Amino acid sequence: MSKLSKKRKQFIFISLLVPVLLLIAFVVFPAVDLFRMSFTDWDGYSPSSNFIWLENYAAMFKNKDLWLSLKNNAVYFVIHLFMILVELAFAVLLTSKLRAAKFYKTMVFMPYIINGVAISYAFSYFFSPVNGAFNSILEALHMESFIRNWLSDEKIVNFVLAFVSLWRFSGYHIILFMAALQSIPQDVEEAARVDGANAWQLFRYVQIPAIMLMVDFVLFDNIRGALQVFDIPFVMTAGGPGYASSTFTLYTIKTAFTFSNFGLASTMAVAIMVMIVVIYVIQNKLIHGLILKDRR
Amino acid sequence: MKRKLIAALLTCTLAATAFIGCGSKEKPSAPVNGGTQTESGENTEPAASGEDLSGTLTFAIWDNNLNDFIEQNDMVGKFQEKYPNIEIEVEKIKDDSEYWNAMKMRASANQLPDVMFNKTFTLARFKDYLVDLSGTQACANNELAAGYAIDEKVLGIPMTSGYEYVFYWKDMFEEAGVTVPTTWGEFEETAKKLQDYYGKDNPDFMAIACGLKDEWPDYPYMEFMPALESGNGQNWNTMAGQDAPFAEGSDIYKAYQKVNSLFTSGVLGKDPLGLGNDQVTSLFATKNAAILALGDWGLQNIQGGAEDISQLGTFYLPTRNSESDPYNVIVQGDSFMGVTTHSKNQDAAVAFVEWFYSDAWYPDYINYVTSASSMTNFPKDKDPVLAEADELCPDKVLIMYDGGGDDFTAIQNETTFDYKKLGAQMMTDGFDLNAALSELNEKWAAARAKLKIQ
Repeated sequence: MSKLSKKRKQFIFISLLVPVLLLIAFVVFPAVDLFRMSFTDWDGYSPSSNFIWLENYAAMFKNKDLWLSLKNNAVYFVIHLFMILVELAFAVLLTSKLRAAKFYKTMVFMPYIINGVAISYAFSYFFSPVNGAFNSILEALHMESFIRNWLSDEKIVNFVLAFVSLWRFSGYHIILFMAALQSIPQDVEEAARVDGANAWQLFRYVQIPAIMLMVDFVLFDNIRGALQVFDIPFVMTAGGPGYASSTFTLYTIKTAFTFSNFGLASTMAVAIMVMIVVIYVIQNKLIHGLILKDRR
Repeated sequence: MKRKLIAALLTCTLAATAFIGCGSKEKPSAPVNGGTQTESGENTEPAASGEDLSGTLTFAIWDNNLNDFIEQNDMVGKFQEKYPNIEIEVEKIKDDSEYWNAMKMRASANQLPDVMFNKTFTLARFKDYLVDLSGTQACANNELAAGYAIDEKVLGIPMTSGYEYVFYWKDMFEEAGVTVPTTWGEFEETAKKLQDYYGKDNPDFMAIACGLKDEWPDYPYMEFMPALESGNGQNWNTMAGQDAPFAEGSDIYKAYQKVNSLFTSGVLGKDPLGLGNDQVTSLFATKNAAILALGDWGLQNIQGGAEDISQLGTFYLPTRNSESDPYNVIVQGDSFMGVTTHSKNQDAAVAFVEWFYSDAWYPDYINYVTSASSMTNFPKDKDPVLAEADELCPDKVLIMYDGGGDDFTAIQNETTFDYKKLGAQMMTDGFDLNAALSELNEKWAAARAKLKIQ
């Protein structure tokens, strides 16, 4: 082996060693420990815990408040899923030659870079029943009949929170789509145009298949984000009223810290990981198998 | 060669990081009785000379008022006049909820601060991590500490005596033609009259301000009323020994029926679930609400938002059914300062506790806050606003509140009984209190059986 080849191998080994060790220390080891804890009754502060087999898993399935919380996650998931189409349309629009496109891009991305907790606080005052800006706007427009208890009506609270989540994250998805759209070779699009493709055909048969990897990522990010949504409901409603706007993560944290049941909370964390994978696989099958017919 | 060395160092650092968390958990050392504990387990008296003690102490707090006072009055500098070799690092945590989360995690990692605070409901949780302070002068001079001893060990010295008040605007009461209520029925009636009187012109008006969006502000009702109803400060612990504590006719059943009746009568305004405590306190301070139930600490917040408090008055929450019943009033030790077993400088930490409750610091602090003194050697006259409650209620019966011991906490965790959330749930559409209490009874009995609590 030449000296150069040896050095190259050493460099590759060390370059890999560092991220692998980091991964083991901060991802693999905690994940394995999380899985181990999910079979225990650890209270979060005692030096010891008991192995209780599948008791936590059984308790989790019987917990109706937890499943109500999961139902709330579904609201975020579905709304964001439908918005992905709108986000795509915006991305196409902003990628085309549009006057002041840079300004729009900045405006669209701005909510994502603002601190999530700050946004949540701002919106909780925006939707406040007393001196709230949103109700004042409705009053100014003589639309008093539309005024609701935005943060305490069980029927609408999740939609209000999902709207805030949309406001915050849509710009991020749009920017991702734009980056993918801009990476499509110009000649492919031009060739399609020469062949007589209209804007819709260009979008449907050229742009979408070309950015499918990014669409996949955004779809996965939507599942992950929807199942792990935390800061917005935590700050704006603390999961209330009752558990009406609680989410799976919020309930998991409450289980761990309020009810000192880290074992059960670990079980929930394992469940959320499994759910993310399962929903992603199903969604992938549906989108690629049924809708796109495996066209990439 | 140099690169190899750097790579090897990096690798070692990472490996060490990875294995830090794998170390065996040190069993918390047993609390000691008086003085401090040496490694051999013997008790020693705190060192006589300040210069003999050294080390760095971490002092974790959540209280904004205490934090302000510490910063404004150079606590560390004053302490070091007596103990020049002890450093104090004050660690301010956002609020008490975050505080307990942080402390739980740090307890499991053997990294509790040297000096920490507890509430009545967390003392049992952290009892294995707290040193017995029963031999200290601070304990001897504290009027409440011994009452909260667990297994005859004093695990924290309460910084204040906590009383609960109902704040009200006297001029608003007078204008609406109502007087200070002395029974629960009168209290409900007064609130309704106020709501009718002011609510007709001001749709945002709340007869009783209660920021249920945060859930915890209902604690004067949901946490304390069962104890006030029964006249038993140990009510939670009594419940831990019962299979059906929420059954019809029980004290908690009666208390929660009263709260439910009050909350659902419309006296909390148009949307109490949409407002947090800060918002309702501001609205009360600007007279958009007539009544606000909070602890003595709440006075400082009201003063901060009100232009004039000359018309501000207080009374104790009248939970009794008739004037012939005793007028029960909650009192509790608050902010129990304790020394943790994780402290590497327990002698210094105990010395700090002694100093904190001494003439050098405590009198100025207790006069700065609106809360009552818990120290017999530093009595404090109540703020005139708070003293009004005593004038209105000369026959009060003090109920010393206990937040619940091990058994109660274990059952509460198992059943996920959250009394503060339950109070907020009362305001939701379709909520059935009787069904909720019945379900709690079932869960309670199952939890007791599972946990083998007699």
